[in-house]
Amino acid sequence: MKEAKKTLDVRVERTIPAAPGEVFDGWLNPTIPGNPWNAAEKFILDPKVDGLFFWTLNDTSHYGRFTEVERPARIQHTWVSPNTLGEESTVTVTFKKQGQDTLMTLVHSGIPDTDAGRGHEKGWNYFLEIFPGQFGNGSRREK
Amino acid sequence: MDQLTDALSAISHPTRRAIIGQLANGPARFLDIAKRFDTALNAVTKHLKLLERAGLIERERRGREVFISFRGEPLRKVAGWVHEYERFWNERLDQFEQHFRNKKKEKK
Repeated sequence: MKEAKKTLDVRVERTIPAAPGEVFDGWLNPTIPGNPWNAAEKFILDPKVDGLFFWTLNDTSHYGRFTEVERPARIQHTWVSPNTLGEESTVTVTFKKQGQDTLMTLVHSGIPDTDAGRGHEKGWNYFLEIFPGQFGNGSRREK
Repeated sequence: MDQLTDALSAISHPTRRAIIGQLANGPARFLDIAKRFDTALNAVTKHLKLLERAGLIERERRGREVFISFRGEPLRKVAGWVHEYERFWNERLDQFEQHFRNKKKEKK
């Protein structure tokens, strides 16, 4: 069993204008923009229970094992990367019919809550991005 | 309220973000700030009070004038609150949603 370490969960929701089956298939199709495998420089993907995945981007490798693959409602897999300090975190994606659309909910749980993950410097850059042109046209960027 | 909540409230208004943007270039006097906005002086005063309460600005008297300057530290706290994975998944799902929106448009 894991020690009681400080972890956090990230939850993201979107309404996707397509039926759950189509959205489910899109999430596991590396040619569709937005899923984790699409941006990878190299990937391996075997989306079935106990199937494994690997993908790498900017020299950062991610590994995982599918634990639930229930078309069209639910996908769950583990997620291991340098950002999880090599520990297994869990990603659960659910697809719920909402009229003609699909409510897609992604919960990434058990992420070690570290300063690196909270990336103060990266977070700072994030604010520079969402305040375009408001920080002196880049003339005064604090580090 | 805690400082994080104060900072989040402070940056939730476009005028206050514009004031932060202006002050990031250097300190300014109250009227230099106010003249850029088509709003009553007491509205600007209110915005400045909120920014001051969040610790995003400070006032400094130089002779007969008071200069207002920007302090970045509270924004760093807000930035630290946004976890890297939160941004990662939001960016991924934005792209994913956009793909389906484009596809739907093409069908029409």
